[in-house]
Amino acid sequence: MVALLALGALAAATVLVGLLGVTAMRTTSDFLVASRRVSPLLNSAAVSGEYLSAASFLGVAGLVVKDGVGALWYPVGFTAGYIAMLILVAAPMRRSGALTVPDFAEARLASPALRRLTAMVVLVIGVLYLVPQFRTAGLVLGAVSSTPYWVGVVIAGGVVSATLALGGMRAATYVQAFQFCLKLVLFIVPAVWLVVQVGPDVRHEAVHPVEFTHFARDTPVSFQVDVVLEVAEPTPVSSPAGGTRVLGPGEHAVAAGTTLLFAEGVPVPGVGGNSPPGDGDWRRPLLDLGDSGHPLLATWSVVFAIALGTMGLPHVLMRFHTSPDGRAARRTAAITVALLGVFYLFPGVYGLLGRVLVPELYLSGATDTVVVALPAQVDTGWSGTLVTALLSTGAFAAFLATSLGLLLAIAGAIAHDLLPGGGLRRLRVGVGASAALMVLLALPAAHLDAGLLVTWGFTVAASTFCPLLVLGIWWPRLTAAGAMAGVLTGLVASSGAIAAALFGPPLEGWPGVLVTQPAPWSVPLAFAVMVVVSLRGRPAPWAVTAMLRLHLDEEQDRPDRSA
Amino acid sequence: MQRARRIAVTSPQTRLAHARGRVRGRWRMPRLEPKDAERAAALHRAQRVQGLVALALTSALLFGLPLAFALWPELDRVRLLGIPLSWLLLAAAPYPAMALLAAWQLRRAERLERR
Repeated sequence: MVALLALGALAAATVLVGLLGVTAMRTTSDFLVASRRVSPLLNSAAVSGEYLSAASFLGVAGLVVKDGVGALWYPVGFTAGYIAMLILVAAPMRRSGALTVPDFAEARLASPALRRLTAMVVLVIGVLYLVPQFRTAGLVLGAVSSTPYWVGVVIAGGVVSATLALGGMRAATYVQAFQFCLKLVLFIVPAVWLVVQVGPDVRHEAVHPVEFTHFARDTPVSFQVDVVLEVAEPTPVSSPAGGTRVLGPGEHAVAAGTTLLFAEGVPVPGVGGNSPPGDGDWRRPLLDLGDSGHPLLATWSVVFAIALGTMGLPHVLMRFHTSPDGRAARRTAAITVALLGVFYLFPGVYGLLGRVLVPELYLSGATDTVVVALPAQVDTGWSGTLVTALLSTGAFAAFLATSLGLLLAIAGAIAHDLLPGGGLRRLRVGVGASAALMVLLALPAAHLDAGLLVTWGFTVAASTFCPLLVLGIWWPRLTAAGAMAGVLTGLVASSGAIAAALFGPPLEGWPGVLVTQPAPWSVPLAFAVMVVVSLRGRPAPWAVTAMLRLHLDEEQDRPDRSA
Repeated sequence: MQRARRIAVTSPQTRLAHARGRVRGRWRMPRLEPKDAERAAALHRAQRVQGLVALALTSALLFGLPLAFALWPELDRVRLLGIPLSWLLLAAAPYPAMALLAAWQLRRAERLERR
């Protein structure tokens, strides 16, 4: 109940800030992002605030419970993305004056066709990135208010649409920077509290994991999604209404919404071929996608996709334009690496404690809720409730910040680049329609693997926008035709592989890894196609100038002018 | 201290719209003064070399660490403060390393522009 009140307060505050944001925008003619002179530190806090999503706040800890310590490679990749930004795109992108990748395509290659194609890719990336956010929001709302998953998703969609309709909170950099500080505090303070409160036994158990084979105490499991339990020996279960039955050896389907009570000492059934938390593979610091048996390849693929995909995320690129010039944009990227590093020290804490205290979440398919489920295990009094409320608020703030930024980017791509005309009303309609679409797509996504969902958006971005930006900025011979061919190839290759992983036959071993995580071949392929097609054509006469302009530093920063 | 001049920024779309509205005819890529073009070309070459070095270092960190974990599984059994060393190397060590790398790259890139 307290958690719900806290969420209500957050929603009210967001709407209020949104309204204030509209006023501020009007009175200070702040509408053009570059009319502000935001310091790199403030701006990097804003970048981090927008970047830290529900997947970061909740998803990583849940993946640690489900897949093992190796899931901590995700946040390493999330942070490394900003090093790639810093090295390859931050300053030149800012100097191009382009707000989005479609803008950049037009500025560098002057091709309206390429602009439309890249706007389509923005849509694909935005959808792939937003669905896991809505999914997590739905699971968490379901967990704290014990409502079904779909109610949580619909509420999340409603809050996002209402916030945007009332003006949005995106306009103000300081709001995002505040969001970052809020999320940092709401994540770190509960983590420290948990580590202190759990006592020495749990702390010892957390770093000496044992396989989760038998329930350590009477455990109610609320199934959030339909699952098939694989029972090896007769397992007695009871329902909360009373009545006990014994599950015989074999497979048993359990419908979403069911609650089963497992008594102390009862053997733990298997779920969908996943190994239980705490076994040998779980303890390895490598990431095995679907137990393929090739953890090194899988780890490399995931880190590669995330590190190169970050530069193509539409809501991230836009943030750099609140920097006054290219040099400040570069500083922003560098400071962001440090700020994210502080935040990402903590998901592992939640994951390790979650494996000890709530391992049964891996049965119910709700490992994403581990962060908000932990405080109640440690303290059933008011302090536990308070910490749960703090964490739910932080998680919802994370969900809101990322979703609002991305929905605006998607709506902007539709309104500006894909449809003729434009205007604010069309943008608002676009936002509402996108939010509704996201809700519809998130509804059947509850059972999908969170780890895969998170990386797919990054994979498509890495296979399309990464080659376009890197070659556009560093290689004068890039032609519009080459860029088109490369982006199309990357889009088809990466999304085709994802579709094959979703709907195709299951693949074993390393081909399975390369289909579920295609970045190691789709990114080089896109680069190669872009280079080969460009070399066969002839760049425009102004191409060299268009590229060199991106590397020319601002006059006022040069030493002979500053005196 | 003199504050730097503000730089007006418009998206290329706005620029295009303005260009179309003001003068009929094709939009042209802005030109560079010969002196600026020379400086930009030198910066492009220098930053490319620096960027490649920084990328190589980042890749060594990101791909080397998993390789080390795969080659030496005994890192899981060595414990520091009770925590497996390989867990610490994954959960904590990369972040300061990446922050240092970012700071180094930033300093080098800015120094190249100071010439």
